[in-house]
Amino acid sequence: MTSKQDKARIKAAVKRRKRESYTPVVPDKQLGFVHNNVDCIGCRACEIACKDKNGLAAGPRFRRVQYIEGGTYPDVYAYKVNMSCNHCESPACLPTCPTGAIFKRKADGIVDIDSTLCIGCRRCEAACPFGAPQFDPGDNIVKKCNMCVDEIEAGRKPYCVMACMMRVLDIGSIDEIWRGSLETVAVGPADKVSKQVKNMANIELTKPSIGFVAHSKGKVK
Amino acid sequence: MILPIRTLIPLLLPMLLSIDPVLARDIGPEDYERSRWHPIHFKPDIDNASNEQCLSCHQEILDRKVLNHSPAGITSTEVLAWYQTLSTYEGEQETFHRRHLVTPMATELMDLKCNTCHQGNDLREEAANPPDHNNQDLTLRKSVNPDICLMCHGAIAYELMGLPAPWTESRKNFQNNCLLCHSYIRTERHQVNYLKADAIEAAGKANSDVCYGCHGGRQWYRIAYPYPRHPWKSMSSITPGWARDRPTESEPRFQKEIQQAAN
Repeated sequence: MTSKQDKARIKAAVKRRKRESYTPVVPDKQLGFVHNNVDCIGCRACEIACKDKNGLAAGPRFRRVQYIEGGTYPDVYAYKVNMSCNHCESPACLPTCPTGAIFKRKADGIVDIDSTLCIGCRRCEAACPFGAPQFDPGDNIVKKCNMCVDEIEAGRKPYCVMACMMRVLDIGSIDEIWRGSLETVAVGPADKVSKQVKNMANIELTKPSIGFVAHSKGKVK
Repeated sequence: MILPIRTLIPLLLPMLLSIDPVLARDIGPEDYERSRWHPIHFKPDIDNASNEQCLSCHQEILDRKVLNHSPAGITSTEVLAWYQTLSTYEGEQETFHRRHLVTPMATELMDLKCNTCHQGNDLREEAANPPDHNNQDLTLRKSVNPDICLMCHGAIAYELMGLPAPWTESRKNFQNNCLLCHSYIRTERHQVNYLKADAIEAAGKANSDVCYGCHGGRQWYRIAYPYPRHPWKSMSSITPGWARDRPTESEPRFQKEIQQAAN
């Protein structure tokens, strides 16, 4: 426990401390996800593979397959928007963290969290426009997708991508994904990759590293 | 004339609610699904929900404290985020809900209500049907539209203000004093029902870090919020190009005359 004297010392140290401002990390290369909204059948195998790998109980979901369905016969539609952490160019979660638990990797732009440093203030969870940081009520701390950095470093792809039976989810250099030059079966030869779909938060907030093959009803003009 | 019942529901429900506000005891904690789909969680009822009603079920958002130690042993009293090195930051680490509602600075300067931010989407999988990009009340994976956060957590638009560099670099040239210019430019500010305009003016006068705290210091997002341009006394009659599409009034929900988003 901190004694009273310590507290006074900390306060004095805080007063002395130079004002600091946050300078975003510019990665050498930015990895990102690509998801085909149209061909995804919503089986949620990616969600389960993710929960399995990260040992998550019911509740927190690093990845979420969202069902967007509706219309009146014969004009009906159903498509999925599938998001985990978008490993943003300018992550909103990062500057909110008081303990430095969240960081952006210089090598590949992955936004990782060291949950053992988390004190559970849940600011990152609120700040993220895409709902990526997930509060684990069992451990009272926040955890999130780190694109399976261990797998990436071993030269493999994340669990969600490997579990996708429709092959509609993939990762790659985000510039290649947006250009359409990434070699992946998630994007068909006639498909265009878009940065934003309807009802996803404004991408200008944090510049998320994600590409979608959007459904005709979900395209943003 | 017989009005269809669908037209009557939105008219009648707020009336009923104002007579007898729904509280937790009326629903019962055992009935989770019933409470989840209760009309108070949706528009239009949520706009008239009082904090008392919300907290009668969701009290834990104010009771919850941060951990004293992280799992790896980081002590919460010894850590600071970047923005917390500003001179306005004080007190121990707190959860974000408490920082917005009950901590000293929150009660001094703000008058936020649960429904200032929360507009009723707790399902996180819900999108407008048919998908409508102009209606961001239902943002995918979020229970609050991040544009509401942007009102305080956006970037400082230093280029529009004509500053040579971001405030962190140019503050020295302006004696770290926002009111050097803003005592005569854009003086009609903070006239919304979720802020205490007079208290903010007084605090900003005493310490410009208070201004910067919201307008850039606690910046989570890379863009600035296009604040409505309430006309001020010495305002030029020529509207600059960047301000041509700006509203001159706040959204009705936030206007002072309509006490919807505040107590």
